[in-house]
Amino acid sequence: MSRASRWITRAFVATPFVLLALAVGGALFGLQGGFAPYAVPPAGTGGERVDADAATIARGEYLARLGNCATCHTTRGGTPLAGGRAFVTDYGTIHSTNLTPDVATGLGEWSRDEFRHAMRHGVSRHGVLYPVFPYANFAALTDVDLDALFAYLRSLAPAVAAAPPNRLEFPASWRGALVGWRMLTYRPAPFADDPKQSPQWNRGRYLVDGLGHCAMCHGERGMLGSLPREGYLAGGRIPGLGWYAPPLDERQLARFDVEQLAGYLRSGVSERGAAYGPMAEVVYSSLKHLTDADATAMATYLKSIPAHPLPRANTLAAPLGATAAGNGRRLYEEHCADCHGRDGRGRGLDHPPLDRAVSLTAPDPINAVRIVLYGAVPPTTARNPRPHSMPPFAQKLASADIAAVVSYARAAWGSQPIPVSSDDVQRLHGIVLD
Amino acid sequence: MPPVSRWSFAGFAFAVAVLLPAAKARADDDMIERLAACAACHGARGEGAPGAEYYPHLAGKPAGYLLEQLQGFRDGRRQSPQMTWLVQFMDDAWMREIAAFYAAQPPRTRAADTGAAALTADLRARAETLVRDGDKAAGVPACAACHGADLAGVEPGVPALVGLPADYVIAQLGGWREGVRRGVAPDCMADVANKLTPDHIRAVAVWLSQQSHDDGRRPAPAGSVVSPVACGGLAHAAVTP
Repeated sequence: MSRASRWITRAFVATPFVLLALAVGGALFGLQGGFAPYAVPPAGTGGERVDADAATIARGEYLARLGNCATCHTTRGGTPLAGGRAFVTDYGTIHSTNLTPDVATGLGEWSRDEFRHAMRHGVSRHGVLYPVFPYANFAALTDVDLDALFAYLRSLAPAVAAAPPNRLEFPASWRGALVGWRMLTYRPAPFADDPKQSPQWNRGRYLVDGLGHCAMCHGERGMLGSLPREGYLAGGRIPGLGWYAPPLDERQLARFDVEQLAGYLRSGVSERGAAYGPMAEVVYSSLKHLTDADATAMATYLKSIPAHPLPRANTLAAPLGATAAGNGRRLYEEHCADCHGRDGRGRGLDHPPLDRAVSLTAPDPINAVRIVLYGAVPPTTARNPRPHSMPPFAQKLASADIAAVVSYARAAWGSQPIPVSSDDVQRLHGIVLD
Repeated sequence: MPPVSRWSFAGFAFAVAVLLPAAKARADDDMIERLAACAACHGARGEGAPGAEYYPHLAGKPAGYLLEQLQGFRDGRRQSPQMTWLVQFMDDAWMREIAAFYAAQPPRTRAADTGAAALTADLRARAETLVRDGDKAAGVPACAACHGADLAGVEPGVPALVGLPADYVIAQLGGWREGVRRGVAPDCMADVANKLTPDHIRAVAVWLSQQSHDDGRRPAPAGSVVSPVACGGLAHAAVTP
């Protein structure tokens, strides 16, 4: 066979594969939204105002609080919303950006349409944005709300603050790779009110799925750190933070009534549990600002979410033995029972009950171990201005003792009979707390 | 004296003698319960805790100083992952109350026994000179010039230097040199730390850790000591440079 005919044969064999690859690629590209997300609207004139009357700006400020923009876009002690906070991910470190209207380093030259587009599609003049930015949630926002948010951001004093460069590994370091990520994992879906549900339920879902972006912590992660639909608010380990976020559904939240849950969101405490760790931060900087009506709407919706399947029980590990349980009980009565009670019922808003506490019922014991090791304080809020605190035990109890007491409490009040090991505790010694 | 007013006087005396202290004890117990997390390292009343000798005492330190430290841990001017972890979601009002609680406790500025090695006679003399007189050539003010002649601190913003473990003082001065502990500008302690040599920092810290006061020695009253250097942290203390 001549060389030419060999090439022709190869081409014939290859053609269907190439066509198939193009078809699959095209289909995936279509599923992530086609070309529309990449058509970034033109820049503004530098100083564009969006219907910037005081009422609109005030509403935008409320929305910015509910969206908790400031928590991610502010460094510790830094200028609010001027960006620069580092996020450590499996792919490297990413820094948030400056949302103040500085022309060179912030949103000074952005137009209203560019802002709407970046919020909804995760693409700006800088290219495709990393999905640490919850654009999949913000896509649900109405034009009116996006414009109010933009008006509020435009009303801030411009701060000169360039974000430090991201430190990411290839291919994540190349923003073009994000198109591939979106093709594989991102499935934008239209968001509309459900006419069969009450306005309150719809408002709650809008806040939970939209501005609140609860799924960023409470969603179950899929391939490449994505948030697939089937893991919607199904809970799991929060990427980069070393905390477990519980599922949000009718079963998980059954211990609250709507009023208690709404109160918890606004105050950080309830007779059914207190907010610690990342949730304390969310309450402190965002949810404590909720109006009564919005808190009730969120609670109403959250309690209506159908229960997720329970995680499969670990049948390989041995349950807590009698000796270890006895040791754990002794330690519990010595160090914990004064506040949480011998029966684990706690005391009102001061000392949270352990009975059915998230940290004890969770399949992942990390929250319980962290709280015992390093202590915890719920956020100060108008309804809980002088919070009680949980003392740290890292310097008081050996890892084996912490393992024993956590195992005892999880078995007694969390229906989690598989013990935590001394190694599990040791691994969390010296964990970055911030 | 008519009987009614005699009775009201008796009631008043009873209130002063019995009810007020009882109310204060109850308020203290309530704070101690709320601040259980702090007690693990600092003691229930900030007097220090056994097995936690590195950590500074809080009892009787000036409230303004304690507040500034709490805010510093929250806002990134001081670095201690454990402290930041516990105070990061506290507002100023609660921090002010916590600071006032510890400031009102009986001070305990006994020598902090951290097992620091004894100083040579030379270094001891040098340390004492730095503490009492400073080093004019190097531009280092005396510790006593701001922290009070007895080093028991000055209300409302300058802490006692007696009763602190040497390791703790060394870590703080090192932190100021490296910029990981920052005061409000102008940061006078950063200036001081940068003008001291590491040897002298160690000597001063060890010397300070060996000084002792009787229990209950309070910081000097506000305005009784005028700082010779400008300290941003003292702006609220109305100390002029």
